[in-house]
Amino acid sequence: MLMVVKNQIRITILSIKYALMREMLNKTTFITNIVFMILNNASFLIQWIVLFSLKKNIGGYNIKQVILLWGIASLTYGLSHFFFKKAFDLSETINNGKLDVFLVQPKNVLIQAITTDVEPSAIGDMIYGYIMLFIYGISLKNFLLFTLFGICGSLIITSITIIFSSLSFWFQKSDLIVDTVNRLMVNIATYPDGIFKGLTKILLYTIIPVGIVNYIPVKVLTEFNIYLTLISILVTILLVLLSFLIFNKGLKRYSSSNLMIART
Amino acid sequence: MKKYIFIFKSEIMTNFQYILNILTHFIGTFILLFIFLNLWQYIYSDPNKLINGYNMNQMIWYVIVTEVLWTSVGARQLSRKISLDVKSGNIAYNLNKPYNYIGYSLSSHLGSISVRLLIYIILGIIVGYLFLGSFPNLNIINIILVLLSGILAITINILFTISIGLLSFIIEDSSPIYWLYSKLILVLGVIFPIEYFPKVVQPILNYSPIYAMSYGPAKLLIDFTYINFSKIFISQIIYLIIAYSLCMLVYKKGVKNLNVNGG
Repeated sequence: MLMVVKNQIRITILSIKYALMREMLNKTTFITNIVFMILNNASFLIQWIVLFSLKKNIGGYNIKQVILLWGIASLTYGLSHFFFKKAFDLSETINNGKLDVFLVQPKNVLIQAITTDVEPSAIGDMIYGYIMLFIYGISLKNFLLFTLFGICGSLIITSITIIFSSLSFWFQKSDLIVDTVNRLMVNIATYPDGIFKGLTKILLYTIIPVGIVNYIPVKVLTEFNIYLTLISILVTILLVLLSFLIFNKGLKRYSSSNLMIART
Repeated sequence: MKKYIFIFKSEIMTNFQYILNILTHFIGTFILLFIFLNLWQYIYSDPNKLINGYNMNQMIWYVIVTEVLWTSVGARQLSRKISLDVKSGNIAYNLNKPYNYIGYSLSSHLGSISVRLLIYIILGIIVGYLFLGSFPNLNIINIILVLLSGILAITINILFTISIGLLSFIIEDSSPIYWLYSKLILVLGVIFPIEYFPKVVQPILNYSPIYAMSYGPAKLLIDFTYINFSKIFISQIIYLIIAYSLCMLVYKKGVKNLNVNGG
């Protein structure tokens, strides 16, 4: 069992490594993508400077906490889109019968299917995340917690995407649901939870778990709370397991489309 | 001109087949509008309070107009398509056709977004009314002039986007330039009116494309005056010429160096 896991990890690392090497063939484009993604994210600081000139406290957050919120959002987005880029195209992979190529290989289908490609610009998101942490105030404890929440958040985002994408095994057009959930998670992630009320707030801690991915880390980094940290880790583990369970259940319904493609 | 109108019409007919797709794409715009509604409701503790000359209803209508103008253009797909045309060499097929590539791209894209724009305008009005319970105070002539200003804003945006896509002639992947362009328009033109920025920056923004592409039509919808309209209209005509000239400049420079291998 341990050997199987070890082999799977080795293969996954190699797959990501080769995908990265492919992207690095054109170094100028690779570096431009990263640098411009950092600038792209930084442009939103203007929005918050303007908003904080109107009110000193927005939704219970001061400007430093919004910077931290941006940091967490960028890191989780960056990690999930760099390592699991193909999870965000999983609906299309299932609908077009492109899973065949992974089914014939003696490794986990889901892990293979989501780690065959990387998004270079997501490196810019990760770097931007740590720049935001640096501006907020870096210490060893903050760095470790920030990284831990980044990993948990990215796994949650990826798991939610896999769960909704797996609906493609049962329904056509489920890519629309995946797209909407992802848009909601990305767009809401950088706004303080205090501006949302009622049902929206409940949704943010359940179906669209922006609360667990983004708001809990900000709370814990501002004032350490072991229970919230454990909740975040527990939710991550549960969602990862659930994503494998639902994908594997759906996989039994999968039928090939006889599409001839080569694995990248 | 006739051929460009024909291209425009064919694209409209094609896009009528995809109304459901257009409706579902509005979800993204709706999410952003929902976030801004919550944000502005939080900031305006009293809806009648004026912040930088705007009350809450005006701010929400402003964001609705700028969001509809921005998202209905589908600039990212356009920039990607042009960039791909350049990189793949497809652009060469257009060289021997009896039309100008910029004119073709503009009329084809305007055609392809017309149905979407119409649906977005209707949905934008419905969302605005549901959120706020009232419409801006405009007569029929004002509405026609606001629409004219909106169409000019969209045309300028399309031309700037084409020129960014064409930059692939010079740098292989122009998408990073597009990200920066889109975020600057979003932050400086879509989210806030120019009056929200520091006094030092306002004159610069008033002379920037943001005034013509985003601020202008939205300002007219919430506070229409003929003086404002004439200022915005003049700025839009100037930027239309600048954007078109920029497209032609990049295109001519790029085509000179074009190498197509096989096909």
